[in-house]
Amino acid sequence: MMKNSFVELHARQRALSLLDENSARELVGPLDDMISPHLEPQNIVPESDDGIVLMKGTIEGKNVLIVSIEGKFQGGGIGEVSGAKIVAALEKALEDNQASKTIYPILVLDTGGVRLQEANYGLLSISEIQNVVIALKKYVPVIGLVPGRVGSFGGMSITASILSYLIATNKARIALNGPEVIEQEAGVREFDSSDKNLIWNTLGTKQRLATGLVDEVVDDTVDDVKASLVNEIETRKDAHRTENVDFYLSLLDKLDLSKKLDIETYDDLFKQVETVKHEIPEAETSFKEGTKSRGRVWFEAMTGIKNATSSVSTVLHAQKDGKEYVAIVPDAENDFPRVRDGEVGLQEGFAVASVINKVVAEDKEKDVKRPIILIVDVPSQAYGYQEELIGIHVALGSSAAAYAKARQAGHPVIDFIPGDAVSGGFLAHGLQSNRMIALDDDSITVQAMSKASAARITQRTIPELEEATKHVPAMAYDIDNYEKLGALYKLVKGIGSWETTDENVATINSIIDEAISGLNGDTTLHFRYETPIAKASGRKATLKVRQLVAEQW
Amino acid sequence: MEKLHFNFDTTDAIKKPVHVGVVASGDLEVIFRPTDKKTEVNIVTGSDGFKEVWSNVLKRFFDRYPIQANIEINDFGSTPGVVNLRLTQALEALNDEK
Repeated sequence: MMKNSFVELHARQRALSLLDENSARELVGPLDDMISPHLEPQNIVPESDDGIVLMKGTIEGKNVLIVSIEGKFQGGGIGEVSGAKIVAALEKALEDNQASKTIYPILVLDTGGVRLQEANYGLLSISEIQNVVIALKKYVPVIGLVPGRVGSFGGMSITASILSYLIATNKARIALNGPEVIEQEAGVREFDSSDKNLIWNTLGTKQRLATGLVDEVVDDTVDDVKASLVNEIETRKDAHRTENVDFYLSLLDKLDLSKKLDIETYDDLFKQVETVKHEIPEAETSFKEGTKSRGRVWFEAMTGIKNATSSVSTVLHAQKDGKEYVAIVPDAENDFPRVRDGEVGLQEGFAVASVINKVVAEDKEKDVKRPIILIVDVPSQAYGYQEELIGIHVALGSSAAAYAKARQAGHPVIDFIPGDAVSGGFLAHGLQSNRMIALDDDSITVQAMSKASAARITQRTIPELEEATKHVPAMAYDIDNYEKLGALYKLVKGIGSWETTDENVATINSIIDEAISGLNGDTTLHFRYETPIAKASGRKATLKVRQLVAEQW
Repeated sequence: MEKLHFNFDTTDAIKKPVHVGVVASGDLEVIFRPTDKKTEVNIVTGSDGFKEVWSNVLKRFFDRYPIQANIEINDFGSTPGVVNLRLTQALEALNDEK
């Protein structure tokens, strides 16, 4: 008998192939004319559905929402319209579930992550997707399907780690950073992007299944994929993938960092590791100066802890005046070479998750939850081979999930951004906050990828990329252009990134207090598209998408 | 990227909109919408400098199927054969469903 391949289908056909006959109804489809406003100005051909198919229907009589990403259009990258479609539909599914109308969300992930041509929107949207997934999981499993050929990369691999249950075929790969980007950022010795065997053996779903990064690998037929979905809807399994913080911190303790990790060694370690409870104590004063960074100087100034040090040298946290301050900082002597400049790596993601989970647990019974202040200075996520083999996307997913849960539980989660806010680092430490406060300083970079990597991946020269970004705030690298999206609560003028005088600290603290008292119980991320700038220009397409999804739901 | 625009004198009004295809490498999407005005074709293509080829492919299509429609095409480097295939598929989709 002929088997129908699922992988070979396009996004719309994939959704239709899973749904009961005549049950499918598409929301904000190709005829609704909701194309990306950001592609044509960059000379890129758009698609009428912006690469996202939203389909309501039933599977064996059960209500489902299928979000199917078209991997063949712009590598399945998430931009403003595509991201807003996913967020808006998942939020409607959440409302239904909250009203006891059960609907199962299914995400067909075939995506490179952030669409680099709309990078800043992509990052915002992906954090919003992660947020609503966390909220949905209280009611229903949120099921992920990674068929391939693209797989699930970048910020959407972080999303994948947060999903309840991940089904994949052997034609898919899952990783935070693609091999080309790692090679670009860390050199060919770190990860040879021309070595296809190494890539598939490391990032392919067979290896991912062996180490708990996917839950099931099925044959590439429509029937097999559907059977797995039906089974998951019935059994409602949840991998709790981002809740294994102590396991991973114990595993990292046992890692031999003197030599390059290989697959066999890692598989053995994964099987043998014994989980030990980890607690990351508050930062303490020491006699030795830590590696200087904007994040560190502000953490020390705001908490009063001089030369702050901690058992995880790159993760500093402390309580001051009833607020929990958290910073990720560089450590030039760190045992993990790929985080020495302040990047967010394995240990950082899991350690931050551990800190935040503890804060939430301590305040569980309290009426007023402790505000969490994130000091954001993260130049990127860590680019490294062992990071990908172990699953850095799960580390970043663990901290993103922890922050989202904290906010949803009622903790004000506020960003103070005196430094860089880039990419996976920002998703893990910053983008789950209710309010973002940034310094208006030229030194701050906000983006999804370094210029060198973004140029390589989008097949442009760096000057071409720079020329394109000048006119498109969606792609900008500076905080002034970022402000045009409307996501910031406040852009603070007149305070430089390194100027931590007592007066400046007092000013920032009063802005933070004002932000907290203005929350009025808001535990969502909606503020970002409700500011005057967002409404007037920055998020017009987002708001239009949200309106259309609501009308058609 | 290049934007192209064509008009055709056709007669057979279509009754409902249809969409086929994906803006994948070497492929395109086609949208037909009903109109009571002149047939208009608006193309966004990733391959510059093929206006004449487009003109020929479309002329041949409308000679054979003189549908009156508002047509949108987003193209990512398809060959004339693929273009013709997608246009014909859109036509089939018009006739197929009730």
